Amino acid sequence: MRKYELVYIVSPDATEAQVTDLHTQIEAIVQRMGIGAIEKTDNWGRRRLAYEIGRHKEGVYVIETINGNGELMKEIDRRLKVSDLVIRHLVVRIDEQEGIVARTQAARTATSRRRRVARGLPEDRQPGEGQRGDGDGDDDRDDRDDRFGGAGVER
Amino acid sequence: MNGRGGSGGGGGARGRGRAGDAKGKDGEKRRPMFRRRKVCKFCVDKIDDINYKDAKLLLPFVPERAKILPRRISGTCATHQRKLRTAIMRARTIALIPYTAD
Repeated sequence: MRKYELVYIVSPDATEAQVTDLHTQIEAIVQRMGIGAIEKTDNWGRRRLAYEIGRHKEGVYVIETINGNGELMKEIDRRLKVSDLVIRHLVVRIDEQEGIVARTQAARTATSRRRRVARGLPEDRQPGEGQRGDGDGDDDRDDRDDRFGGAGVER
Repeated sequence: MNGRGGSGGGGGARGRGRAGDAKGKDGEKRRPMFRRRKVCKFCVDKIDDINYKDAKLLLPFVPERAKILPRRISGTCATHQRKLRTAIMRARTIALIPYTAD
């Protein structure tokens, strides 16, 4: 069994009922194929598209996580291609990627714990310990870059 | 100085000529360019999963003309640049990120 992620964009003209109808249709396909199940459905609602698709500037995004096999996804893919209501869709296999992510994260926490224990610290990071920036990312850290002691900036 | 230019012609010779030039410039008092060290954002922030649905994460890597920012500029490591690329291409498919500007 493989895990897939299906994203489809429904035309903004579609009614709420039509969107749910589409979901039931996909569910029906899953059931008819007799293998797999829908694990999760996520409706992002109406969103602006980054570019126009056809004449649409907006779309309703729906993300479904589906357990199944290639056959099943092929069938869903075919059905969505035919559908006029769906203006764009994408099927991505995610089980492998998820596994890799889980493994790297596990490895990271394991090493960090081992090192912390070796340094005589508690296993997990304490709140407010060793803060570096405010966590929002980038620039604020670089501004304090004075590894060169300010030489070269003078003159 | 001119002798070097005169002997030029083949590609190799030109290459050598350029190397000589660089040395000459070093000789002059030229302050070295001051660049901040580039680091891979994904390594630093420990982002393992570069997800195509996370437009906010990807957008800084497709500036202005919506082209993917090259590694030499963003400083992203090779592994993460590869993952970033797939994520951006998927995000483009589902219209989260533009293919082109305007």
